[in-house]
Amino acid sequence: MRTAPPHWADALLRLFLKPEVFASVSGDLLEQYRDSIHPARGRLRADQWYVTQVFGFALRGGRLWAALFAGAYVARTALDWLAPTTDFHTRSEVSTALAAGILLASGFWAAWRSGSFAAGAAVGLVTTAIAAVLNIAGTAVLLAIWHDPHIMTAIRGSGGLEEVLVLPALLILPGVALAGVGGLVGATARRLVRGT
Amino acid sequence: MADVLGTFEQAVLIAIVRLADQAYGRAILQEIETRLGREVAPGAVHATLERLEEKGLVRSHLGTGTPIRAGRPRRYYRLESSGVAALNDARATIEDLWRGLRWPLKGHI
Repeated sequence: MRTAPPHWADALLRLFLKPEVFASVSGDLLEQYRDSIHPARGRLRADQWYVTQVFGFALRGGRLWAALFAGAYVARTALDWLAPTTDFHTRSEVSTALAAGILLASGFWAAWRSGSFAAGAAVGLVTTAIAAVLNIAGTAVLLAIWHDPHIMTAIRGSGGLEEVLVLPALLILPGVALAGVGGLVGATARRLVRGT
Repeated sequence: MADVLGTFEQAVLIAIVRLADQAYGRAILQEIETRLGREVAPGAVHATLERLEEKGLVRSHLGTGTPIRAGRPRRYYRLESSGVAALNDARATIEDLWRGLRWPLKGHI
């Protein structure tokens, strides 16, 4: 029996590719895995290589959405710091709707592309995980540029630095759920429109 | 004027030209790695091929599977005439930029 990469990695790869290219792309990866990577590196490192390649496809699938999500988050943070207010209601409504819209759209796009509703949740996970890193980095850049006493007062008034830094990680689970909903809609729409 | 190509897009198109009727994903990847002398992510090659096909610069067709690929087919690529034009333009642009300069450059300019 021939060696094979982890089954779950192959299943994950399927979520990030169009159905019409999955067989040829996964075939290329499998050929490289069996032909050169496994003989040269052994089973464990060959499996690591395969999983790394799959994560590469996943990152490509989520990076645009992550950039949009992080851009919205950092812009809202900058607004709260540079134009302080005591009434956050409108800002919260707008930024929450924007974030939810981005995640729903990412899930819809991924499921429409792959034909699988699970692709929505997978893209949601990748999007919010990359965005969490970008959000923290963006906040650090804002803080490096603006940190005078007025700004520090505005930061405390808008929930404090802890909230800005911890919130991105807390958004991952709801983000996966929202993108999953988008994925459900996307997969259903694809079935209705294309019949696949 | 044809599409403006990035460096990696040029590398992929040139690999397809060199490989002729053997230009499928993994062969293109190996050709690029050999020419550039470094490892290249398969995902980068496939994303570029997909983009080039969407731009209409290449077209693809499925071949047959092999046992080492668990029967999964190879996707073979060929340049469209617009791909040839884009590659010719890219080469002409580089030659225009270098015209009149002695290569390799030496010392301080």
